[in-house]
Amino acid sequence: MKMKAGLIGTLSIVLLLGLVFSAQAASVAGVTDTEVVIGMSTPLSGPAALWGVTAQGAKAWADYVNDKGGVNGRKIKVILKDDGYNPARAMANLTEMKGQVFAVCALLGTAIANASKDFFAENKIPLITVYADVRIWANYPKDKLKYIFVSYPDYENEAEFLATYAVKNVGAKKVALFYQNDDYGKMAMEGVKIGLSKLPGKPELAGAVPYEVTERALATHAQKLRETGADTVLLYPTMTHGALILKEMAKIGYRPKVVACFTLGDPIMYGLAGADVWEGVYPAAPANSGIPGDPAADRIIEIMKKYDPGIAGKEYLALFGAVSMMHLVKGLENAGKDLTPESLVKGMEMIKNWKPEGIGAPVTYAPDRHHGVNGSRMMKAEKGMHVPVSDYTIYKPLF
Amino acid sequence: MDLIESYKEELRLVRKFWTGFWIILLLFALILLPWYGKEHWVYILTLIFIFSIGVQGQNLLIGYTGQISFGQAGFLALGAFTFGHLVRMGAPVLISLLCAGLVAALFGLLVGFPSLRLKGPYLAIATLGFGIAVYQVFVNSEILSGGRMGLTVQKLPALFGLSQVNTYYYFNLLLATLFTLVSYNLISSFLGRAFIAIRDNDISAEAMGVNLTIYKLLAFAISSFYTGIQGGLYALLLGYLEPNMFTFLETISLFVAVIVGGLASVEGSILGAAFVILVPQVFSNAKHLVPVVFGVAIILILIFEPLGLSGRWLKIRLYLRMWPFR
Repeated sequence: MKMKAGLIGTLSIVLLLGLVFSAQAASVAGVTDTEVVIGMSTPLSGPAALWGVTAQGAKAWADYVNDKGGVNGRKIKVILKDDGYNPARAMANLTEMKGQVFAVCALLGTAIANASKDFFAENKIPLITVYADVRIWANYPKDKLKYIFVSYPDYENEAEFLATYAVKNVGAKKVALFYQNDDYGKMAMEGVKIGLSKLPGKPELAGAVPYEVTERALATHAQKLRETGADTVLLYPTMTHGALILKEMAKIGYRPKVVACFTLGDPIMYGLAGADVWEGVYPAAPANSGIPGDPAADRIIEIMKKYDPGIAGKEYLALFGAVSMMHLVKGLENAGKDLTPESLVKGMEMIKNWKPEGIGAPVTYAPDRHHGVNGSRMMKAEKGMHVPVSDYTIYKPLF
Repeated sequence: MDLIESYKEELRLVRKFWTGFWIILLLFALILLPWYGKEHWVYILTLIFIFSIGVQGQNLLIGYTGQISFGQAGFLALGAFTFGHLVRMGAPVLISLLCAGLVAALFGLLVGFPSLRLKGPYLAIATLGFGIAVYQVFVNSEILSGGRMGLTVQKLPALFGLSQVNTYYYFNLLLATLFTLVSYNLISSFLGRAFIAIRDNDISAEAMGVNLTIYKLLAFAISSFYTGIQGGLYALLLGYLEPNMFTFLETISLFVAVIVGGLASVEGSILGAAFVILVPQVFSNAKHLVPVVFGVAIILILIFEPLGLSGRWLKIRLYLRMWPFR
């Protein structure tokens, strides 16, 4: 018996040694003459699974570009991995992609962006667009920022825009805020306060009502909002909570004017909240993406649906992803045939006043500017559509 | 499995030459891994090492002492944020890590008090409340959680000419080995036997001279210490903390690791940790099917292997030892 065990032991050592030293090749990771490999890690499961549609949109757009001949003769190959909105898993995905992918696109989540921010400069892998709190990069060292390109609105600037618009254009005299009790919601509060303090007469913030993301019974929250006596309520919730609070407010007969952040910018809110409640609400739209109903956006949506019918019903979020892929494609085009991380960075920095397929506000990147566009516009919910009622208000890029 | 002839022999960690041989071989394979394995695997194993420490702690509590707990996320958060704040204040990594464990252990003691009177589902609810309370406190306190931007924690520098990934790998391998040794020694000591006695029948344990108050509290404190260390190591690895990383989902994954790995088994804890890390990672290409694969795997294991992965492991060992006879 000892003999047998010994034999197994020796055999396994031989096997182990056999595994040693696997060959490495390729001068630029993820690039051949016919292909460029792009990595994406996104929540396809877990608490933020809905937002994973952004990656589906990006993938669909890449497929469309491939069918049109690719970029500089190269087809885009997408490696899409689920991270469940968990930073440890996202990091594991990224380390797995290292050596396989040329660039990473459409990363999602503030914790994930924060945990992985050093990864990109350390490994010279460009990161093209992130959906996360942009202030992560506001004070980030310039040399490390080199590989990171972001075009996402700053939450605080957006809240400032909402408050300003509510007072100037919606006629708000007394404003109340309904927000998620986390960092995101608190940022909104800061922004609203800044917005109100800049306005003549300094309109008051009559009250702020927080909710927990796990809560579903929002009747007391609706009561509290009514007690503030506000004529306009600013919403900073998830789509579900936005729908729930409006229904509860309607139930007790409290119908103030409503201005909502861009997470509620999806016309799908009509279905969630009900047409009677949602009609007349002012939802914001970010400058980096489009709105279903806008002809330019609808064209993209049709194309995406052709390549991934699963996008139907989630068009608003899918558009974010498609636009992210457009940023990358534009950068790849500018980088030319000789593709290296450096040439892509240069290619991205050549983008000036460019509207991806006519969507959103113009984007500009430059060596000293990696925040492509930071802005919002206001829409109004009318007859099942979100109709733009203002032009883009563009804030200063943060980095 | 074998006839043990003396108490001294029972206390020995490695009783057979070939067991020792295999363990040393495994350790060698792990030590050499960065030379032959992909960097990605090095990273995944680092995660497994970190996780296995916490799972061992929870197994001491749930598997060995028989006390249900759903407060793991709270202890993880306490460990992680204690570690984060101390490192930011300039404390050395190892001292901060020890404090992370101690703070979690202290809160473990506090949570342990209800366990003196509560059992089963009632204890589960009490500990669940603790986990949620800790999360809420961190969410609502900017001083504790680092506010809107979270807490950036200084990462380990690359040491001894190794890459940063490898530095983390060896650091965590060392700690996981250390904690595994401690766990084995703990369960074969008087302390471990007292835990098992409490689990099997607390009244007879008390009649035999086991002080229930002290040992139940100790079980909570020790298991929380392990989980606190896991939190600290997690903070060190990611270099960033925010309260949303410590939701009830974390509690569930630790609990699943204990059950799937096998109750009351140290090897099981390590296998369980590997399971909860590896399954989502290996199937990360399966996209939205990941939770389905994960759930089905758990159900299959519990149906076909009620003793968990460690039960399967024991059977494989027995089979090999008996081969070719059955």
